[in-house]
Amino acid sequence: MSTQGGPAGNLNVGIYVGHEMLAAVPEDRRDDYLRMVKEISDLKYQLGVEVARQLPRLFEERDDAAIERYLDQVREIAKIGWKSGVEVARQLPDLYHAPDATLADAYVEIVADATMGAPEDDETAGYAAELDTLDQKLRAIEPMHQRQQELKSLLATRDRRDERRRKNAQELAAALPPILARLRPRHREVYLRAVRRVAAADPEAALEAANTLLEVLNSERLSHDGAAEWTRRGLEVLEKNREVGRGYFRMGSKFSLQVLEELREGLALRQVARVLKLYATALSGRDVAVRGLDEMDTVDRFGPDHIILPSDMRFFKDDDRNFTAYKVAAAHGAARIEFGTYRFQLDDVPDTVAALTDRYGMVPR
Amino acid sequence: MAVKTQRMEDFRLEAEPYYLPLGNEVELFQAAYAAHLPVMLKGPTGCGKTRFVEYMSWKLGRTLVTVGCHEDLTASDLVGKYVLRGDETVWQDGPLTTAVKAGGIAYLDEVVEARKDTTVVIHPLTDDRRMLPLEKKGEVIKAPDEFMLVISYNPGYQSVLKDLKHSTKQRFVALDFDYPLPDAEETIVMQESGVDAETAGKLVKIAAKVRNLRTHGLEEGVSTRLLVYAGQLITGGVEPTVACEATICRPITDDLEMQRSILELVNTQF
Repeated sequence: MSTQGGPAGNLNVGIYVGHEMLAAVPEDRRDDYLRMVKEISDLKYQLGVEVARQLPRLFEERDDAAIERYLDQVREIAKIGWKSGVEVARQLPDLYHAPDATLADAYVEIVADATMGAPEDDETAGYAAELDTLDQKLRAIEPMHQRQQELKSLLATRDRRDERRRKNAQELAAALPPILARLRPRHREVYLRAVRRVAAADPEAALEAANTLLEVLNSERLSHDGAAEWTRRGLEVLEKNREVGRGYFRMGSKFSLQVLEELREGLALRQVARVLKLYATALSGRDVAVRGLDEMDTVDRFGPDHIILPSDMRFFKDDDRNFTAYKVAAAHGAARIEFGTYRFQLDDVPDTVAALTDRYGMVPR
Repeated sequence: MAVKTQRMEDFRLEAEPYYLPLGNEVELFQAAYAAHLPVMLKGPTGCGKTRFVEYMSWKLGRTLVTVGCHEDLTASDLVGKYVLRGDETVWQDGPLTTAVKAGGIAYLDEVVEARKDTTVVIHPLTDDRRMLPLEKKGEVIKAPDEFMLVISYNPGYQSVLKDLKHSTKQRFVALDFDYPLPDAEETIVMQESGVDAETAGKLVKIAAKVRNLRTHGLEEGVSTRLLVYAGQLITGGVEPTVACEATICRPITDDLEMQRSILELVNTQF
């Protein structure tokens, strides 16, 4: 029950005072009752509980002197030992009604002596003083102890992070060689520089960056400068938030895609290679292969049935006109293939002269 | 709406269909007709096979019964069947029987699409017996001298499962058709669609280029028929690139990159 309203409403004794206890106290004395319970319970909670139980019968008798005496004696014993005080608080009201009026006082004295014991000797006093000194010293170093715990916790967190970092670095070490094998040689320098920067910041993000950069560079979606800028912006994100940064390098964030689109220059051949191949094949009537300039090391530039085109077309700002530029180049290549520009062989010169002579007459000297 | 019953005479072509001979196909067909031999027309879609048969039927003065074959077409559909009419069961001739009886030209278009049992009724008509057995009626009809059987098929997209058997193929005089040479095709497009020579020339050039893609993902090239469609749309006021996109790019492929490359060829011309 909790007390409500009036002066008693401010006393937090509801947990000790039962409804029936308060009802047993005359209404005009209830505030006094609650104040007394509160005062005693401030000494010790258990004392308050017992006093709350015993006081109503004293209030019923309307003997203020007895109430005052009761509280004094409870306080006296409680100062020496609260457990004895609880017992005294329970027994005293009965003793007040004994035929011998001195019995209660004698009881309190006996309990007080028993609880207090003999006066302290020098040795005990010395122990107490030493303990008091140690307590003071320990209290003085308490902030240092707290700091020690904080530092331990901090270092443990960092240890775990370092452990995770080493694990991710190991995974990166295993994953990188096959990725490097797929990387076109001309992208190697810019790729390695970018991956190294990300790896120094966060190996887990570096693993994501290694895959994404391989894709965007090999597919010519970004120039070398564009790839470096895309990496730089990702590192800024990574510095602010590791998880978001990893998402950026995984190309899993909207911002990452936005940056990629912003940095993309020109039209990649890969995007339109098949359309151009079909276009050139249709124009020339030959099975034409379209190759990027970056594949020059594997094909003959003047081969009879392939057209070499730039890996990306950046003459114009829009894709449509860049595609038209590709188309012009492909049409030129298709014409070369159709009409055999590079089919000419020096060994064939004598036959060619003979054929031209037959067709157009003698060549003038 | 009342159904108007068509008479055999309705199948006789009154006006001369436009046809530009591309070789000796007219003479060969006439010779086959005179010798009572069946003819097989081979060639890609839309190259003029049907128009050729129409032209020849007009030229020979024979009625023409055309049957577009499909995978559910049975021998009964060709020769005829008993049908319920009121309280009676009456026999109704199929188109092949009609053509035989009338001494006309029966043209089975894309015959390879029809069910296999159709060969049972075709074979006796294609050798020296020249007869049509009506199994359900227990009758055999002797084809008159004027009757001629013509079939067509497109070897370009027939699979192993859907090809004519040799026992069937070797009963016909075969005439090969292909897309006309540029000059002839230009003339045909002009004649059929009403476009001017320059536009027809451009359409034919586009077609020639697109046909180069036949082994690169296109099952068939652009047919002359589609060029005529394109010309007709252009004559009707449709912008040439839009007309070509609708009649050339889209019908022949669903491959978006292929469509784009064809559209680029169109853009090169228009």
